[in-house]
Amino acid sequence: MPNKLTWPTIGLTLAALAGIGLSACKILPTQSAQEESKAPTFNPDRMVEDIWASKVIPYLQQKAGPFAEVHALAKTDQAAAGAKYGNPKKQANSPWTFVVRFEGKIVAANTQSRAATIDVDVDGDGKADARVQIGPAMRGTAIRDSLDFVQFNDFTNQIDFAQFGKAFNGYADKTVLSKLARDGLEGRTAKVLGAYTIEGGLDLPLVTPAEAEIGPKP
Amino acid sequence: MKLTRRMTLAAFAGVLALGTAMPAYAADLIAIITPSHDNPFFKAEAVGAEAKAKELGYDTLVLVHDDDANKQSELIDTAIGRGAKAIILDNAGADATVAAVQKAKDAGVPSFLIDREINATGVAVAQIVSNNYQGAQLGAQEFVKLMGEKGNYVELVGKESDTNAGIRSKGYHDVIDDYPDLKKVAQQSANWSQTEAYSKMESILQANPDIKGVISGNDTMAMGAYAALAAAGRKDVIVVGFDGSNDVRDSITSGGIKATVLQPAYAQAQMAVEQANDFIKNKKSPEKEKQLMDCVLINGDNAPKLETFALKN
Repeated sequence: MPNKLTWPTIGLTLAALAGIGLSACKILPTQSAQEESKAPTFNPDRMVEDIWASKVIPYLQQKAGPFAEVHALAKTDQAAAGAKYGNPKKQANSPWTFVVRFEGKIVAANTQSRAATIDVDVDGDGKADARVQIGPAMRGTAIRDSLDFVQFNDFTNQIDFAQFGKAFNGYADKTVLSKLARDGLEGRTAKVLGAYTIEGGLDLPLVTPAEAEIGPKP
Repeated sequence: MKLTRRMTLAAFAGVLALGTAMPAYAADLIAIITPSHDNPFFKAEAVGAEAKAKELGYDTLVLVHDDDANKQSELIDTAIGRGAKAIILDNAGADATVAAVQKAKDAGVPSFLIDREINATGVAVAQIVSNNYQGAQLGAQEFVKLMGEKGNYVELVGKESDTNAGIRSKGYHDVIDDYPDLKKVAQQSANWSQTEAYSKMESILQANPDIKGVISGNDTMAMGAYAALAAAGRKDVIVVGFDGSNDVRDSITSGGIKATVLQPAYAQAQMAVEQANDFIKNKKSPEKEKQLMDCVLINGDNAPKLETFALKN
């Protein structure tokens, strides 16, 4: 299926539409449809790779707030927190996403599961404040959903949209998380830039990282 | 931006057609077309849409296409012929439906799709669909957890012509395939049917007595599979469904099926009618054609709050 997110395609379509406006010609949209069908096959991993360093990380860095501040607002007013620290143009019926940065001490780790996590104490009270996914299996699409330049309507269907979402997790795993230490994590420091949503039934916010560092053994 | 432009053109064309081609006898009628009401999910859609349409002062024409694209095409002709002002449609195939919806559009009747999307934009005014992929991932994550990340399992897949059968299966595997110790020993379609799932499960179980779990593409198949497992004395097998039906809710609360995923079918159908009303009365299209509604995991913790495809607070 056509990859509708490619900028040249959008550019061509816009150009074609501008043409309609001027000349009322009916042939142009057909041509643009043909151009779309010539677009390369959908490759979500490649799409993420292409925008990760140039768009994704800068957006997350610019949007991110300190964990305590973001989470305090998210708990009282998700819409306000989501607009400020996430994607103000999110899908109307999907949950708000919040981008955070924090550094803290790892107080617990679950590396038995393939959906491995570390629990991080951010405020220094000895208790975990956030649970960070460190892969390889990861839940959710928090990174994708925190980006204001990614819209479901730009994709052919929800399969493409979902695979694009998963590709962000895969890219973070491949380039960052798979290189993190897995043993003796408790007591080390962790530094994270990531995103989360507030879900019912979870005791800790589940953060999907885009960047993460784990310090040396104390 | 591209879409807005297309929508504007579509709306404009619609207005022209309404002004010239509508039969004079047309009352304010909304056609509601879904798959068979044998599945309570589709019934909830039809009931939800009908209730909202009546509340807003419309007459309704409730029809079922039985997942037959030809029949769907005839029903759309019927809706056009009866002078419907809008069609609320849970469609019979992502590709086959495009032409039928286009036909309605050309006749000046706007379509508002629910539940299943089609592989084209700019033809329907709205496509309000459950985020089946997100829902499937929720169900699969719960399944993985219940399975302890290992063991043999069976997947029951829905009707192939229904785009959601493929989407859910992909969503399941998106999660499950990250766990190499989970082994799929059988994958079969039971066409969304409870009786078919029962007989398929019986024969799968004979061939694979060592299964630990069954993940099903919908609730009716999950009910059929669980009945077959119970009849064979295998209530230990973990079963997870999809839809959030009252039948599965009751099974969960009595310790049978372990989990399902709620699709907000009733609310979705009502939302489609509200958007149709806005379009008919104010010529206003929804801001975005494709609208995703997130699904919710249902397990022992929240099952008692589930009623007719909606969670009570």
